[in-house]
Amino acid sequence: MRSRLRFHPDFGTAAIMAPPVRYCIPGERLCNLEEGSPGSGTYTRHGYIFSSLAGCLMKSSENGALPVVSVMRETESQLLPDVGAIVTCKVSSINSRFAKVHILYVGSTPLKNSFRGTIRKEDVRATEKDKVEIYKSFRPGDIVLAKVISLGDAQSNYLLTTAENELGVVVAHSESGVQISQLSWCLRRRGFMPQRGREPR
Amino acid sequence: MKPYGFLAVPRCDSALPAKIRGSRARALPDRALVNCQYSSATFSTGERKRRPHGDRKSCEMGLQLRQTFEAAILTQLHPRSQIDIYVQVLQADGGTYAACVNAATLAVLDAGIPMRDFVCACSAGFVDGTALADLSHVEEAAGGPQLALALLPASGQIALLEMDARLHEDHLERVLEAAAQAARDVHTLLDLVVRQHVREASILLGD
Repeated sequence: MRSRLRFHPDFGTAAIMAPPVRYCIPGERLCNLEEGSPGSGTYTRHGYIFSSLAGCLMKSSENGALPVVSVMRETESQLLPDVGAIVTCKVSSINSRFAKVHILYVGSTPLKNSFRGTIRKEDVRATEKDKVEIYKSFRPGDIVLAKVISLGDAQSNYLLTTAENELGVVVAHSESGVQISQLSWCLRRRGFMPQRGREPR
Repeated sequence: MKPYGFLAVPRCDSALPAKIRGSRARALPDRALVNCQYSSATFSTGERKRRPHGDRKSCEMGLQLRQTFEAAILTQLHPRSQIDIYVQVLQADGGTYAACVNAATLAVLDAGIPMRDFVCACSAGFVDGTALADLSHVEEAAGGPQLALALLPASGQIALLEMDARLHEDHLERVLEAAAQAARDVHTLLDLVVRQHVREASILLGD
């Protein structure tokens, strides 16, 4: 048995006892189909369960049903943004027709490698789509909450939209570097210095 | 896009890095498309090569690698996506196909792409009534029959078997067995190394 001290942000430091870990490689026979049911990272052949990834063997014992045998890699598998997912992204460049962003988070999970996304002019807001000016809506460096509408074409740029109430720019910095909050579609107020007045975005 | 799996293999005979990239180019509706590209550096052989990639040998090698890995990777789990495997030979001294396959297996493993089994490969030949395994460049250039075998060791299935030049069928069994035994030895070594790597990586990540 191996014990390890772990820090959990909500519960503080605690000692977690871990059972001995078994590592497996692709092609290794794990068990019979009668002893477990295949989970992720495994495949079945001739009545046996084999591993298809190099990682740790996990057996989750469920009540009544057969335990699910799965192989987990030490690093989590890449979470891909799916259509309809809410993503957090950072604007990298802007154009008169669209804004290019780097997708950093899917939901609340950070991504190891950022993906590229595009917010087209007509997807910025739901009303008055033709009067949108990208220069007034986004600036490079803004953090934006957006929703995926398409996986994109062969150039692998996700298509995103901010045309909903909860979506849009959430964090932005003004020219002097002060954090600003949103007043309307294209006006912002600088956060901590209200006496400076409003600045057009 | 940055590559997901990367492996640089220094080998006394042939040294080559292999890269895996995942992309979302939707190709086949029910499974992943495996795309392999082989290129050899201009300084890899005795005489400097003019065209590192795009020539006939590179295309053929890429095709063979693709056939090998389509047999091993569980492509049904990733429909409408493409798995690119790029292999570059830095130093060629015989057995380049086998070295490519072994390196690419480890790269695919590192990238976390589910595979049926390791793919271990080795070349073999037949000289003076003796079956030789893992031919060097000099032995290959001597002109005898050469066999390239890619094996899935756990099940004993053959992913690719290729031979040029003529060999009497009486000798085929011996040559094949020599290549298969060498491939199994490679598997034993890779097995050890991968398990150690997984153990070290999971200790580092504290999981």
